[in-house]
Amino acid sequence: MESPEYPPELARLPPGRHGLPREFVARNQRERLIAGLAEAVAENGYAGTTIAHITRHAAVSRRTFYEHFSSKDECFVSAYETVMTELRKRVGEAFDQEEEWPQAIRAGIAAMLEFLSAEPHLARLSMVEALVAGPVVIERYDAAIQSLVPYFEAGRKGRSAEVLSGLSPSTEEALVGGMVSLISRRIFAERTEELEALLPDLVEFTLTPYLGSAEAAKVARQG
Amino acid sequence: MASRSTTRPLPGQEPLPREFIAQHQRARIIAALAEEICVQGYRAVTVADIVKRAKIARRTFYENFDSKEVCFLAAQEYAMSSALTRVVEAADESEGWPQQVEAGLGAFLRYVEEEPALARSCMVEALAAGAASLKYYEESLQTFVGLFRLGREVSPYKEKLPETLEEAIIGGIFWIVYQRLLLAETGGIYGLLPELVEFALTPYLGVEAARGATAAEEGGGAGGLPLPS
Repeated sequence: MESPEYPPELARLPPGRHGLPREFVARNQRERLIAGLAEAVAENGYAGTTIAHITRHAAVSRRTFYEHFSSKDECFVSAYETVMTELRKRVGEAFDQEEEWPQAIRAGIAAMLEFLSAEPHLARLSMVEALVAGPVVIERYDAAIQSLVPYFEAGRKGRSAEVLSGLSPSTEEALVGGMVSLISRRIFAERTEELEALLPDLVEFTLTPYLGSAEAAKVARQG
Repeated sequence: MASRSTTRPLPGQEPLPREFIAQHQRARIIAALAEEICVQGYRAVTVADIVKRAKIARRTFYENFDSKEVCFLAAQEYAMSSALTRVVEAADESEGWPQQVEAGLGAFLRYVEEEPALARSCMVEALAAGAASLKYYEESLQTFVGLFRLGREVSPYKEKLPETLEEAIIGGIFWIVYQRLLLAETGGIYGLLPELVEFALTPYLGVEAARGATAAEEGGGAGGLPLPS
């Protein structure tokens, strides 16, 4: 995974005079705008969000907005990328900490659910608003989801011929799609508080094709 | 061009019955909305875009629908109920749950091949097209969930299966189909049938039995699909 960086969407500089280096201020402004967009979108939906909403939440001027982004769409894409980078980092780190593949899958899914339920605004931005924000974002959304496929493909290693013959080229895509569908439908319905309870079901669902039902259930109920 | 009414008969033709025209217009508007969604995403589509693509008057649009949102809801109802009818009919013609899954999924994939734009809009964009659409999506999904749930009766794992299993299976199937639609591989959608059947059956029957249940289709065997002993 990429080397970690401080989660930018969480970094907020208090407004006012602070005598900080120009570059730092610029970077911080950009991050504030991204955080401002996430808040504005949570409040008004993407379609109802204006640049005025974003600058108000970010406490920066309209001119500052245009120094960083040429449009609302561009700011959204930036925000989306920021959220997904953070999510990918957390999933990757959780996955890497486990020795065994089934436990690594469990840890990765747990990290994803934890992040999304702790950050309902960002969850909504990345799973709900991304779908209405137009083809450019949809492409990134698809790519982000498909980027989870290799974590599951790693589970093929060392399996018996019988298990492997039960897997098709699209098994991992289908598992990821099913998992994301369960998660995003709860975010759509504004039931983010139910997300963490999905962990055992998701673990069992995704491990079953590799480990069989009984073993997958065992890993799912651990912990 | 946009102002030409579809109600005007071509020279030498009998005027079409009013009801037929109204039906046809609605279908045309719905198809135009679905195609525009695929090009620019739901949010960006305007009534003007729909009108232009459907080659109808703006007034005609508003005679049929109050807004883009209402039009989308109609599109969704039309697509979901057509797909569901075909799935249920196909499943009813088969005996045994695994065979019914195969027949139903086959009918679903055929429908997607016929209506790729509509299918794509209703499987993914519907989630983001407002509260009414989301509610309708969730309700339709529950109907599909009910069909899969019958599998618990023939499964050795029965109530040990995760509560959300059916939702996850349907989500996975939709995702695969959606990905193929994005790549505009419409022609190959039906070819996904064997792997999707196996994906859907494995959690209920186990790897070996799930493969057995689809083997007859691949081998061209007729009728009854014996599970391997």
